[in-house]
Amino acid sequence: MSESNQITKTSAGVPKSAVAILLGVLAFGVFMVGFDQGEVFGFTVPADGYGGAPGNNWAHEFYHDMRHAAGFPCH
Amino acid sequence: MNGEMLNPIEFDNYRIWQKVGEIAAGTILGLSIGSLFGIVFAYSRSSIPASSNKKKALILAGIMWFVLFIIPALKYPANPPAVGDPETIYYRQNLYIAYLAISGFSALGLAFLYRKMKAAQAKKVIVPVIYAAIMATAYFAMPSNPDQITAPMDLVTSFRIASGFTMSMFWGLLGITLGVLWDKLRPHETARLSMR
Repeated sequence: MSESNQITKTSAGVPKSAVAILLGVLAFGVFMVGFDQGEVFGFTVPADGYGGAPGNNWAHEFYHDMRHAAGFPCH
Repeated sequence: MNGEMLNPIEFDNYRIWQKVGEIAAGTILGLSIGSLFGIVFAYSRSSIPASSNKKKALILAGIMWFVLFIIPALKYPANPPAVGDPETIYYRQNLYIAYLAISGFSALGLAFLYRKMKAAQAKKVIVPVIYAAIMATAYFAMPSNPDQITAPMDLVTSFRIASGFTMSMFWGLLGITLGVLWDKLRPHETARLSMR
């Protein structure tokens, strides 16, 4: 007959590096999908349409539908 | 696309491309909100009043869905494309961020208060009442969305319902997924020693 004991050590600590990385992911993703108007991805915009008419800012157009669906302000 | 002559085949291809973008952007947004949810869960897990990690994750997802989606959506609801005026986009973004920040940081501050308060039953009433008071004040104090809605109202309403359903489903699945994964991986257990 075998008997098994288990000791579990729990910790309430949260690794700071993990928090920093996740905060970075949060800021980058929410800004890119929810708020970018060509500030970060302006290089995808042809020279004549920087920040201007919808249809020219390709990065914006690419994540456009999700921005609307998630309720962020958009055109 | 304002007032331009469109080639329907080109437009169709463009929309297919744009819908792929929605999936990509949804993944990025999901990762981002999931990151925030993970951080908040890791810090608050021990204070959430529930018997299992799955229930705790669902409760937290419900609170964050309410604070970060429902409350901002009541003041600045989602609009379908073509409703927003490009001229007011930065103003509308500032309003949205400000309201979202008031809601989010009030809830965060109150979460610390909740943890500090001793009266176990009273704090379950007091903390939500303070939050409601702050958000009601902000709701009436902050300016409304300046854009006139020129699209048919039933279209706008259906869009808002679809948006609300999508985001609610997202938050619900986020809570369930995190709860299940937390129980499977048990990241709070730094060491498990087995002795035979």
